[in-house]
Amino acid sequence: MFERDFSGFSGQIGYALVPMVARGVMLGADQPVILHMLDIPPAAEALNGVKMELVDAAFPLLKGVVATTDVIEACTGVSIAVMVGGFPRKEGMERKDVMSKNVSIYKSQASALEKHAAANCKVLVVANPANTNALILKEFAPSIPERNITCLTRLDHNRALGQISERLNVQVSDVKNAIIWGNHSSSQYPDVNHATVAGKPVKQLINDDAWLSGEFIATVQQRGAAIIKARKLSSALSAASSACDHIRDWVLGTPEGTWVSMGVYSDGSYNVPAGLIYSFPVTCRNGEWTIVQGKSGLSIDEFSRKKLDATAEELSEEKALAYSCLS
Amino acid sequence: MEDYYYMEELVQKIPVISICCYLFWKIIKHFVKLLDVEKDPMIVLVTGAAGIYFYDFYAHTSYLRADISVSKSLYRCQIGYALVPMIARGEMLGPDQPVILHMLDIEPAAEALNGVKMELIDAALPLLKGVVATTNVVEACTGVDIAVMVGGFPRKEGMERKDVMSKNVSIYKAQASALEEHAAENCKVLVVANPANTNALILKEYAPSIPEKNITCLTRLDHNRALGQVSEKLDIHVGNVKNVIIWGNHSSTQYPDVNHATATTDLKETPIKELVSNDQWLNTEFITTVQQRGAAIIKARKLSSALSAASSACDHIHDWVLGTPKGKWVSMGVYSDGSYGIPEGLVYSFPVTCDKGEWSIVQSLKIDEFSRAKMDATAKELIEEKSLAYSCLN
Repeated sequence: MFERDFSGFSGQIGYALVPMVARGVMLGADQPVILHMLDIPPAAEALNGVKMELVDAAFPLLKGVVATTDVIEACTGVSIAVMVGGFPRKEGMERKDVMSKNVSIYKSQASALEKHAAANCKVLVVANPANTNALILKEFAPSIPERNITCLTRLDHNRALGQISERLNVQVSDVKNAIIWGNHSSSQYPDVNHATVAGKPVKQLINDDAWLSGEFIATVQQRGAAIIKARKLSSALSAASSACDHIRDWVLGTPEGTWVSMGVYSDGSYNVPAGLIYSFPVTCRNGEWTIVQGKSGLSIDEFSRKKLDATAEELSEEKALAYSCLS
Repeated sequence: MEDYYYMEELVQKIPVISICCYLFWKIIKHFVKLLDVEKDPMIVLVTGAAGIYFYDFYAHTSYLRADISVSKSLYRCQIGYALVPMIARGEMLGPDQPVILHMLDIEPAAEALNGVKMELIDAALPLLKGVVATTNVVEACTGVDIAVMVGGFPRKEGMERKDVMSKNVSIYKAQASALEEHAAENCKVLVVANPANTNALILKEYAPSIPEKNITCLTRLDHNRALGQVSEKLDIHVGNVKNVIIWGNHSSTQYPDVNHATATTDLKETPIKELVSNDQWLNTEFITTVQQRGAAIIKARKLSSALSAASSACDHIHDWVLGTPKGKWVSMGVYSDGSYGIPEGLVYSFPVTCDKGEWSIVQSLKIDEFSRAKMDATAKELIEEKSLAYSCLN
């Protein structure tokens, strides 16, 4: 049985995510789950409302629901932790203020997870700034293996696949091996140099390098804002769905010949500084992710190199800002 | 003597031939699997998919009770938004059934609707073979195999019952025509928006060429809620409780009936009435909890149920299309054929089993006096709603 913990989930993403988890989208149709849902005290009644709805839906796979504002109760025995809760930026707030609030949230949740979660608990940080929140979590939960702490860039990865499929008018399931490099922010680098459709390189099929290095990248980077403009609310459905994909592929493995994008603790691959949570192309097997290296790594052209470095630089700056908040 | 040897040879050959046939059969099956022919996509329509209009929870209660005051707050209806990813993940029609989603909403919601389409693309879902987001009812209804009508007109402050009914009658009249003219043959319809039973009835009246058995309304949510309440009371897993019944109107007059429900513990099926052994609770608190659950959710969330409503809509269609498991029935609002003394010509919730895409009312269940009174009361309310609806048409 898996216990899953969602922090901060009276918001939309959590609400979209819990029925997906309860239906087996995250861990497979034969994996029973127990949901632990965590939120702050002002949201306690709403949280209980979600628990009531989960009971009302009579899900066969859902073996229990814990709705709590107590972080220890929430983290106890957890095998998979999806951190959706965080402090959003409000109008007039400085970057440092937002960072400061998130640093304290992730510091305290790190302690609770470290002490009470199951051994080998896998963590996915969704709340922004995702990469840096994950880094804080890692710093304050030193006994959680660093390979078990990740952040979500699968949403951007799926968005990139979606854009290619629309451009080429093919089924999205035929497009694979896009890469999202770096930070889950507007400095991310959506890279389709190695992507294929039914075995043929996307670069060839699209045959429009200007679009691929210009509009395509900007569209994927700014997709979140485009969704907000249309819906007047941020993405929930697609974020929740991608979070399920991230965990499912991590736990159950990626299909042969396919890689996905995950924000993981950098080991220095591709000359990305170690000690950052950076999005890389990975394959997954037996519950472990591995950065795609190939014989000598995927080839990185000059254009890509600059982009990889720019997003790494932003992450180093965020890291410095976060650490300054801790002092 | 020769016959004997002949027989012996034959007896020796039979196993060899059998093994060869068996292996040949396995090879054929393997090749067929390799071909892996994908099913043709089914087209599923969801109306009200943008999820930005407002839903009045008092629509859950009787439209005809004069003492209920109109709620002051208006709530977002998110059922469509919760429903579309479930459909696109195969929860409605099975993990091997590709789908094309048609999403319909009103003009003011067009941008939000497009936002939902964008998100569906962003989710890169393998089963989703196409998305149409439109405000044009004809485009939305074209070729549709399954229609889930979430869109309707909610009651706003100061509105008379007759006005709300009138607005819904015209919405469902228009959508009935479009479905009748443009949907696929044998299109299956599920009405979710309240007043669900009466909206479904209007739809039926104005789409006479859609078989009446294909027009249903959602009471599976109440059915699942009843299962949930029983499972909580008995502290057992909800998957082990079955065969509750929701009779009648999807409103506060619905009758949640556990007289025939059972729980499976240690491979044994035991009647719920025995296990709970508290008829007082079953006849009062249990019933009112299920009847008023919608209001309880709104009180807690400040929003109406979306997750559970969407999930139950998937269950309703799933069981209808793919069949109910043996020994299990579910509740669906269906066109009454007079079973159990319920007047014909109403869309009334009954216990049904499903097989090969068709529902059948479970017959010959014993109905005690208490239940009889409840079933008649909710039928009476439906007759009154029907009259009100018809008066709006004139």
